[in-house]
Amino acid sequence: MKLDAPSLAPIIILGLTSAGAYLAGTRLGGLHRRELSRATMDVLGALGLAVVFLLGNLAVGTAAVLGLRAITGQFISVYVVSDATLPILSLVQAMIFHRWRERSK
Amino acid sequence: MRAGRGFRLLGLVGLLVFGAGAFTPLANWLNAWMGGSARLEPADAIVVLGRGGADSDGVLTNRSLRRLMHGVELYRKALAPRLVLSGTAEETSARFTLAEGLGLPAGTIMRAGSAHTTVEEADRLGQMLLPRGQRRILLVADPIDMPRARAVMKRAGFTVFAAPTAATGPSLPEARLALLRDIATELAGWAYYRVAGIL
Repeated sequence: MKLDAPSLAPIIILGLTSAGAYLAGTRLGGLHRRELSRATMDVLGALGLAVVFLLGNLAVGTAAVLGLRAITGQFISVYVVSDATLPILSLVQAMIFHRWRERSK
Repeated sequence: MRAGRGFRLLGLVGLLVFGAGAFTPLANWLNAWMGGSARLEPADAIVVLGRGGADSDGVLTNRSLRRLMHGVELYRKALAPRLVLSGTAEETSARFTLAEGLGLPAGTIMRAGSAHTTVEEADRLGQMLLPRGQRRILLVADPIDMPRARAVMKRAGFTVFAAPTAATGPSLPEARLALLRDIATELAGWAYYRVAGIL
C-alpha cells in the first residue's frame, strides 16, 4: 500500500516538532533519554483504555438509540452515535481514568 | 500487569488503525471495493436514495447533494425516463426544488413517501413503482452504502443496476478518517440488518 505525499504533511510536521521537543527536553529540560520508551508505553496504555471507552460509548449509545426507538416509537438516527466528537471525548475519559489510576497506586 | 500489557497492545492496534486510516489509501480502497462496478443500463427509473437529509433552511448535506447531482447526470444521459427522489420529506423537497432548478421537467421528477431508513425507503419505493411495473432501477447511493442498499432493494422486488456516486474517495487524512468511520458505521448497519433478519 503506497503512501502519497500530500497526506504525509502532518507526519512531517509532527516529526520536526518531536525532534525539537526531544532536543529541548534532553538538553534544556533535564529529561532522561531512557525514560522515553517507558513514557511511550504509558501513552500506549492510555490509548488502549481510550479504545475500550470508545467501544463502550458506541455500545451504550447504540443500545440507547434502539431502546428509545422501541419505547417511544419515534425515529432517532443511529448516526448520532458516530459523531466525530465521540473518539475525542473517549480519549479525554481515558486520560482522566489513566491518571486517576496512576495517582491511586 | 497483564491488563496493562493488554491495554498497551490495544493502544498500539488503535494507533496503527488510525495511521493506516489517515495516511494510506486504505479507506479509498475499501470505498471502491464496497461500491463495486457501476452498471449503467437503461432502466425504468433512476432512484436517488436519501443520505443525511437537509438542514432546517433546506440545504442538503454534501452526500445528499452528490447523489442528486449523479442522478441528474444519469437522467441527462437518458438512461431512464424519470428521477425518483427518496429520503425524508425535507430532503426530497429540497432535492425536488434543486432538480427543477437544474432544468429537469417537473413531470419527470417523483418524490417517494417520507422514509428514515433504507428498509423504509425500499417499502415506499416498492409501493410507488412496482404496481406501475417499474421494476428496473438505477440505484444511486454512495459506494459504501451500495451493498446493503442494493440487497434491500432486490429483496423488495426490484432489479437493481448500481450507480455509485464516486469510485475512490478523498485523499486528505481527515477526510479519509471520516470515510473510515462511515465504513465502520455501514458495516455495523449491515451486521444489524443480518442479525435482525432484514437481509
